[in-house]
Amino acid sequence: MNIENTQSQMRKGILEFCILSIIRRGEAYPSDIVDEMREAGLQILEGTLYPLLTRLKNAEMLTYRWVESNSGPPRKYFSLTDKGMTFYKELETTWNELANGVNKLTNKNESLPIVPDNTNTN
Amino acid sequence: MKKIININFQGRVIPIEESAYDILKQYIDSLRKYFANEDGRDEIINDIESRVAELFSDRLKRGANCITDEDINSIIASIGRPEDFDAIDAEPAATGNANANTDQQQQNTYQQAAQGPSMPYSKGRFFRNADDKIIGGVCSGIANYLHLDPVIVRIIFALLFGVLFWVYILLWVIVPSQSVQSSITKRLFRNADDKVIGGVCGGLASYFNIDSWIPRLIFALPFIIGIVSSSFHTLFWDWNWGWHFGPRIITNSLGSTLFITYIILWIAVPYASTASEKLEMRGEKVDLNTIRNTVNDDLASMKTRAEKFGSEVKEAAQNLGERAKEFGSTAGSRAKDFGAEAGTTLKKRGSDFGSVIGTLFKIFFFFVAGIIALSLFGVLIGLLFGGMSVYPLKNFVLEGFWENFLAWIVLVFFLALPLVGIITWLIRRIMGVRSRRHYLGFVFGTLWVIGLVAAIFLVANITHDFKSRSGVDETLSITQPSSGKIFIQANVKPGTYYDDNWFGADMNHAPFFGLSDDSIMLRTVRINVIKSKDSSYHIYKVRFSRSPSTERAKQLASNIRFDVNQQDSIISLPKGFAVERDDKFRNQQVLLIVEVPVGKRIEMDESIDDYEWFNVNIDRRRGKRGINVNFDDDDLNNSCRWESNVEYVMTDNCLERVTERRKKNNHKDGRFNMKIDKNKVEIEANGDDDDDSNNHPDKKPSTDTASFRYHNNKKKIDIKIDSTINIKTSTTQVDPNSSLQSTTNDSVAKCEEASKQHSHSPFLVLEQLF
Repeated sequence: MNIENTQSQMRKGILEFCILSIIRRGEAYPSDIVDEMREAGLQILEGTLYPLLTRLKNAEMLTYRWVESNSGPPRKYFSLTDKGMTFYKELETTWNELANGVNKLTNKNESLPIVPDNTNTN
Repeated sequence: MKKIININFQGRVIPIEESAYDILKQYIDSLRKYFANEDGRDEIINDIESRVAELFSDRLKRGANCITDEDINSIIASIGRPEDFDAIDAEPAATGNANANTDQQQQNTYQQAAQGPSMPYSKGRFFRNADDKIIGGVCSGIANYLHLDPVIVRIIFALLFGVLFWVYILLWVIVPSQSVQSSITKRLFRNADDKVIGGVCGGLASYFNIDSWIPRLIFALPFIIGIVSSSFHTLFWDWNWGWHFGPRIITNSLGSTLFITYIILWIAVPYASTASEKLEMRGEKVDLNTIRNTVNDDLASMKTRAEKFGSEVKEAAQNLGERAKEFGSTAGSRAKDFGAEAGTTLKKRGSDFGSVIGTLFKIFFFFVAGIIALSLFGVLIGLLFGGMSVYPLKNFVLEGFWENFLAWIVLVFFLALPLVGIITWLIRRIMGVRSRRHYLGFVFGTLWVIGLVAAIFLVANITHDFKSRSGVDETLSITQPSSGKIFIQANVKPGTYYDDNWFGADMNHAPFFGLSDDSIMLRTVRINVIKSKDSSYHIYKVRFSRSPSTERAKQLASNIRFDVNQQDSIISLPKGFAVERDDKFRNQQVLLIVEVPVGKRIEMDESIDDYEWFNVNIDRRRGKRGINVNFDDDDLNNSCRWESNVEYVMTDNCLERVTERRKKNNHKDGRFNMKIDKNKVEIEANGDDDDDSNNHPDKKPSTDTASFRYHNNKKKIDIKIDSTINIKTSTTQVDPNSSLQSTTNDSVAKCEEASKQHSHSPFLVLEQLF
């Protein structure tokens, strides 16, 4: 059992949810999304983000607009579609349930009832 | 000093160091590879490229003259390399350097840039791999060293365990163990993205870096050829058996081998499902160059090591005592290390003692498994070839659709399936694939049971086919021989006759000696000699056959053609008899009963020994319902015992010897040279100088007669040599040492045997006396 493995699995599941939650607030540029997530303490690579955005776009959750940039090539700004909004809402519900449940479990401090020791009878 | 080049990147001119450009190019290529099967591949790469371009302009705007290696590396680090994208497979070893890379330095830069403080990349030194091991990590160490897939090395070791066992132990002892960061960049996977059936060909293609149609063609070719040739076969149906059999056996056996290989790979090789697996699948090119480079690198370091070793030896000579002591302690610590190593290998299993046993068990297991796998493979191949060669025989045993159908089920499910299963299991074990597919076992088991049931039905069916036995009696009219002796020989070739030599096997002892699509030659003939009730010879011919019904058996028996010819005292029998395909093989037999009057003589030629008598008995009395093949049928116990090449006289108590058993004619395969010049004809036979002990009585030259003709302006010599190299006259048996008789128009050539000691490899010189 690898700690990094578990951690990355945990992160992976909520990645789309986080990205959608950022774009929900308005048009976003990928590197801004990365910055915002890093600010929030969530590590993500741009290389991971781009394919994810493309996939979401192909699934019609997202749409984008070209914006001329004064530094470098034109930029793609992503925004949520209606379908993406519904999708996000559902994810949000799931997340809240999960977060509640997990918090409840992890915050419990009372110890479990003592299990009788059977080893001698074997 | 570095060269700077200008590139057009995302519509912008970017000045960039050449080495940085290489890194960038490599990086984009690796992305392309990584996203090779993603729907929006171009879009993603374009997005990333434009982001890179943006970062470039950013840097240039801030006053940089050009893009440097550091710039590139930091940009790549911030965007992330393909190996980091899918962090779900947290296997640092496997994802190390998946980029196709020939420039070692670059690769190292890459690694340092990306991997940071990871394990040392241990190229060029041979370690046992402590991280990836089944027994001692030797295989994976070798694989690592040669840039190969450990699975391949493991399979080689397992298959050749008998040979490589000590090599393995030796390497285990002398090679130090280390956590080696794997340099394996390539592993065999099935390619889920490029598949027609199971992705095996696609995986092989990526593994060997070739187009996937190549392995597909290789796998499909035998089937295509098979289809084409069988359609040809139907078009030209009168093709000679031997003619089309050649290509057929090649395509069919190859085809089935490839088919089974495919199935096994399908089952044993995992799908490349995760990103790092996909990268490994497409990873670095494994070719001879890579291996050669590695080996070359190492030979160089070996040289320095050897030099070092030389100086050490010198030193040792100078200071023997001290060195010996040191060596002792080194060896001791090495041995201790090894012991500890062997212990820890299996510490997981429990106590130290148990772990030692465990290790031994494991070694033993792999040893046995290797042998089993190898022999199973042999059996499987043998089964296929055997199946191929017995295939024509099938038509003579099986009757009707159901029996054929059952036979196929038995062959596939009952015989071939377990082999495939076991081999698959072994390969999976070697590859360390844990089966999550339990249903596979159930499917195999169920199919095998079906095969078993089919086998039982088939046996019952065939038993039924052999149920009744019936015969046809016939008294042969013979003229009483004038000499008071009969000589029986089997020298008449039956009508249809194929070669004795069947797949190179010596078929002399098989009950059938010729097999074709339409008929089979049997030699289940037996001669019983009994005392005649009157004063004349009688010969009775009884033909037997088996069948479900007595009537049918009688009919089959009467279909047997076995003509007996008499020439005064010589009775000539056919060498065998043909059974038509439609009649089927139903244990047809011919029994010849020879009645010899008291005081008269009989002799059997050695050719009679070629007959093979056997019985297929259906034994129900002992509760055994099955077929029992019996070679010694004592049906007619009142017959006399006899041997070939012995002259017997009939007495009141059966036969009595008159002569000692004559030596059988010795023939051997060899080379015969004939030299003819003006003065003489020279025939030289080269062969083993054999004696009775290793002489096979049934061996005969393939030609019955050889004739030579010698012409010169005046004379014509005709030399005829019969089935033995000894020259026989037409009526009398001639001793091997006797002289050669050859007739010319009106004179006789005198012959001389040059080498009297070697009567069996005669060196015959014909001296011309005329």
